[in-house]
Amino acid sequence: MSTAPTQPFTSDVTLTVNGRKRTLTAAHHWTLLHLLREALDLTGTKSGCDRGECGSCTVLLDALPVYSCQVLALQAGGKEVVTIEGVASGPGLHPIQEAFINEDAAQCGFCTPGFIMSAYALLRREPSPTEADVRAALSGNLCRCNAYGRIIQGVLAAAKAMREGAS
Amino acid sequence: MKEALTAVGRSLPRAGLAAKVTGEARYTADVKLPGMLHARLLRSPHPHAEIISVDTAAALALPGVHAVLTPFDPEAAGRLAPDMTILSKRARFVGDEVAAVAADDDSLAEHALQLLRVQYRPLPFETDPQEALRPEAARIHPGGNLCGGAPMLLERGSVERGFAEADLVLEETYKVPCHSAAALEPRAALARWDGDGLTLWKTSRGVHQDRSTLAHALGLPIDSVRVVAPPLGAGFGNKDESRGAAIAALLSRKAQRPVRLDYSRHEEFVAGRVRHSAVIRLAMGVKNDGAITAIDNSTLMNTGAYLASGPGVLRRAAQGSLYLYRCPNVRYQGLLVYTNAPVAGSYRGLGAPQGHFALEVHVDRVAEALGIDPLEFRLMNHVGPEGQEGRRRSPRHEIVDTQPVEGGIPFSSNGLRECLERGAEAIQWRGRPASNPLRPPALRRGTGVAACIYRGGPGRESTARVAIHRSGRVTLATGVIEVGQGAHTVLTQMTADALGCRYEDVDVVSGDTATAPEAPITAGSTATFSSGLATVKAAAKLRGSLLDVASTLFELPRDRIYFNRGLVFSKDRPTELAALSDVAAQMPRGSLEAEATVTPGSPDYIVNSFAAHFAEVEVNLNTGGVRVLRYVAAHDSGKIINPATAVNQVEGGVSQALGLALTEELVTDPGSGVTLNGSFLEHKSPGIAAYPHLQTIFVETEDPLGPFGAKALGEPPTVPVAAAVVNALYDAIGIRFAQLPVTPDKVLDALAEASPRPRRDP
Ligand code: FES
Ligand code: FES
Repeated sequence: MSTAPTQPFTSDVTLTVNGRKRTLTAAHHWTLLHLLREALDLTGTKSGCDRGECGSCTVLLDALPVYSCQVLALQAGGKEVVTIEGVASGPGLHPIQEAFINEDAAQCGFCTPGFIMSAYALLRREPSPTEADVRAALSGNLCRCNAYGRIIQGVLAAAKAMREGAS
Repeated sequence: MKEALTAVGRSLPRAGLAAKVTGEARYTADVKLPGMLHARLLRSPHPHAEIISVDTAAALALPGVHAVLTPFDPEAAGRLAPDMTILSKRARFVGDEVAAVAADDDSLAEHALQLLRVQYRPLPFETDPQEALRPEAARIHPGGNLCGGAPMLLERGSVERGFAEADLVLEETYKVPCHSAAALEPRAALARWDGDGLTLWKTSRGVHQDRSTLAHALGLPIDSVRVVAPPLGAGFGNKDESRGAAIAALLSRKAQRPVRLDYSRHEEFVAGRVRHSAVIRLAMGVKNDGAITAIDNSTLMNTGAYLASGPGVLRRAAQGSLYLYRCPNVRYQGLLVYTNAPVAGSYRGLGAPQGHFALEVHVDRVAEALGIDPLEFRLMNHVGPEGQEGRRRSPRHEIVDTQPVEGGIPFSSNGLRECLERGAEAIQWRGRPASNPLRPPALRRGTGVAACIYRGGPGRESTARVAIHRSGRVTLATGVIEVGQGAHTVLTQMTADALGCRYEDVDVVSGDTATAPEAPITAGSTATFSSGLATVKAAAKLRGSLLDVASTLFELPRDRIYFNRGLVFSKDRPTELAALSDVAAQMPRGSLEAEATVTPGSPDYIVNSFAAHFAEVEVNLNTGGVRVLRYVAAHDSGKIINPATAVNQVEGGVSQALGLALTEELVTDPGSGVTLNGSFLEHKSPGIAAYPHLQTIFVETEDPLGPFGAKALGEPPTVPVAAAVVNALYDAIGIRFAQLPVTPDKVLDALAEASPRPRRDP
């Protein structure tokens, strides 16, 4: 039987989360998801599988969407992380969040933060996505309520609102 | 009240969504308490075994481990269900809960599990329900493997007579595998004791039911247990069980610290609740003119290691055969069988998707044999508003059982014909091409139809409380849990219109036994109907009391005053007298409250929802791949309270059920009892890439018994989907699949067996 050490190895890690620099002591086996949810109490990032299959843990790591359950906390050292809590710039909602409400792009809402992060990454690199672009960019996110039709509409509506807001 | 609707019938924003898009909403696994420990479960590696002993010494010696619970703890013998205790000295499937550990963090708890020394005595086991019925089969529960000890038998007329009258009898066997509901949020429970009082946060579909189950199992007075349901990451009928919560509670008592238990995704697949697999033998007798003379349905369902909601599911599997078509002679024989396989339970549609798959594919087969178009055959035979022919046997004054088998009782409303007609029009059924010669040679397209009848609506007794406070804010207290379907949204809309306040002024109090009134579990699509009726009644009562206040205030007779959208009007003046909040401010006490309890149903009518679905599919003859290109779902769920959330429900239900039709199956290895594909990668659910072009139609019959004319909506969208797709496949490639899911390998095998012969090719 295994006799693994009961005290895990730890190291300090410094990273930027939602614009704020943080230094934390992280166990080597922690994932970025674990660090966000447990050490920083940023529970908006959900854990639907903890094994890279569902996308509910999606965050931006240096502007790219990643499954935070597939990134070790220490790998995020020196990098910039954006979570659902950091999407809106002020006290109001981000246009994607607004569009998700207006287009009813959710049911239970458990997948929603992950979808919004994937959409956020998409709209940063492609302000005028086609429906096919939206489907491709969100295909790493699972919605078991299957609110896909509304989610597609939500992202397209958000893109439109952001283009209009920018012009 | 009708002309004053300002909330009902409008696409108002879904309640609670704002907190979900920001990540603020805390689901059960997001709730933390100071000093909280993390629990993990030890699960049986054997499909069937006696647990001889559990040595906990090494685990407990590990620093940071605070409690271990085993079946040898006397308090673990508390009963959660007639066939289930909190922990048991008998493991009944691979994954059955054997012991539990609470530790400082989850990896430590997992490590401690490995230090538990369990001595098992493996027993013979059964994974196949047919085999489990042999007299010499291993006994899984003391009462034997046939649940209830006898088949469920439901009969109208005489099928023998019906078959004798028939010109043609066709018989076939259909198979539906078990698949997982796999809600995205894994189950979780958090327990905290304050002296003898216990508070449990848990993934729940009914806090009152959970509280009574848990109080009973833990031997506590009901008043000392409080169950709180945070937002639910969807249930789809699942998450109605309490074993995990009971284990968390006992660990917490031992450790004297709060304990949270989180299921892993793999545990969700193996130890959640799956849809019952079914083997359905169906025989149908018809006259040459198309009249149906007999339907005989024998259904065998696997409930796995525990009964859960099995009998209700078995009953729902009969729904289509008994009621969808006019037929004087029907028989349903249902067998529900224990095996050493993952536990089956409630999953959206209960047994109806299985039963409808068999019936609606069989109907196409019969229609073809008679040379009648599948749509025309359905239009000729579907049940009408008058219900089944025959004489009513139940006493006149009695509330009609929601599922009478006898004839002679009409429906409160029935828009099935309109669903068929309008759906057919939308998919252009009658003008569809007779063949598809223009496609690349490897692609074939086809269109299929399937209908649905669903009991849903009248549930058990429901209570609602509506109160208005001096500030003018209104609270609706309901036991209905928001499982993601939008129940709170529609109940809020009903409150607004029944009271005459604004939608924005209503707050919902729910999901906490400390504050919400009793309600049945959120199941069987009862939220809109039953709880809606209670809500409307309570709101109307409150309106009455407020009218009294207003009448005194404005010195006008009560019947000359009305409320609308938060304003007070006199019938004799075009402009408003005041805001409702002004009246509220004058209330004698701090708030006014009204409560109503209803037992929905009627002595005169059956309440059912209806649907007709149409699928257009494309089959790739080289890969066996099937794509759903276009889909039309026409529904009669009565008046639609919120069109936007209703469309979302239908689209989601259809897409979800495409998994059952085409991709999902949870496989148990018969040699070991091990679940082979417990992950999202291997139990493949529909994704956004293949999401079809989907059109929803509501025919909106206004049901005279439903609140504002509404009927059930949540489950019907999943019911006819597999049959519509399988019928479309037949249209495309001339192969009639009798077993789900229709995966590419099944398509290729079938194509190899019979060279493709598109049925409608010239
Ligand atoms: S939780 Fe990370 S992909 Fe599912
Ligand atoms: S809204 Fe429930 S999983 Fe997507």
